[in-house]
Amino acid sequence: MSDVDSREKKNMKKSMFAVVLGVLLLSGAWLMAAEEKKAAEPYDEDTYGPEAPIIWDKPVKSVVFDHKIHTQANELSCDSCHDDLFTMEAGAAQEKDDFTMETLYNGGYCGACHDGSTAFASNKRCTACHIGVRGKARLEGGTAAAAGGHAKE
Amino acid sequence: MRIDDLEKLKSENLETLPSAERRNFLRLGLAVTGVYLGGTVLSLTSVRTAEAADLVPEPGKYPYSPHYTMVIREKLCIDCERCKDACVKTNGVPVYGFRTTILERRRAIANGGHETIFMPVLCNHCNRPPCVRVCPTTATWKDEKTGIVVMNPARCIGCKTCMTACPYNARYFKEETRAVDKCDFCWESRLSKGEKTTACSEACPADVRVFGDLSDPKSRVYELLHAPETVIWVLRPETGALPNIYYVNV
Repeated sequence: MSDVDSREKKNMKKSMFAVVLGVLLLSGAWLMAAEEKKAAEPYDEDTYGPEAPIIWDKPVKSVVFDHKIHTQANELSCDSCHDDLFTMEAGAAQEKDDFTMETLYNGGYCGACHDGSTAFASNKRCTACHIGVRGKARLEGGTAAAAGGHAKE
Repeated sequence: MRIDDLEKLKSENLETLPSAERRNFLRLGLAVTGVYLGGTVLSLTSVRTAEAADLVPEPGKYPYSPHYTMVIREKLCIDCERCKDACVKTNGVPVYGFRTTILERRRAIANGGHETIFMPVLCNHCNRPPCVRVCPTTATWKDEKTGIVVMNPARCIGCKTCMTACPYNARYFKEETRAVDKCDFCWESRLSKGEKTTACSEACPADVRVFGDLSDPKSRVYELLHAPETVIWVLRPETGALPNIYYVNV
């Protein structure tokens, strides 16, 4: 009798294991599919803004902004930034005198979100946005940065 | 090659003493001193060993006065290259060379991302400069007073041995003068004319390059290097050259 009991228990254990495994595999596959769908989603400029990164050279060289990271990956909408923080003209902000780190620290421009709570603070991780002369050359396919000498303007 | 090993080699300098002189030298009993000071005496160069057990000398034990130093607050560098532009303009650096430049490296960070680190580099004005040790014409030396590694272009024969010896790639051959050129902490262009800082340091918008006199306890470089709980590093410490460019992340 005890022999039958234990066999039944074993069978139950087996079927339970199969169910759990099945659930895990299915949910895993579903998540993977979702990820793939997200990654494979084509970049739509009308929804997410211009695909090419914006590069500012004033007041210092060179600072990058990538719409893709902000809109597609982090799900910000156009009116999160336009037209209150930035006008819809690429690179226009650098013509303004107040386009400085000081303004950012006081919540202007990028500083509206990059305040340390919504996104990393403006006075942290400098090189995340400040890609420099080398970074710009790389984005634009130049080789001046790699040569070590001075870039000819 | 380590400066320690280099100093043990026989000097090929023309000023090497003839054997008669050498015997006199020995007779005078200076051999003992020679053994103690090793290559420093025989090298006939103005190499001075810093009294430093660590990277940064103990307060009050700086070999020079003023002891010029640059402290680089590395994480603030954004490669805007205003320092390079200022250096080129101030010191007439040609497009194919540099006295200072910015290096770049990438490092993996959490969540699959990468971060960029920009590293400003220039002559380290070493306390035991390998470039000075190898120069056959004494066209480069360490200034007795300031410790700046200076060049006399007129004496340079362009053998480029110093360029090979430098652990920091801080020298280049300047076609215009047919001589090796390098950073002199703007001595010629600024400091000797009464300016207090280098062109690169003045041009930096992020306050990365702090220049000053380490022997002055009121200077910023002194404060930065002797602040508590500060991690300080130098480039290529294993060469034993005792560099004077310090890196911090504060």
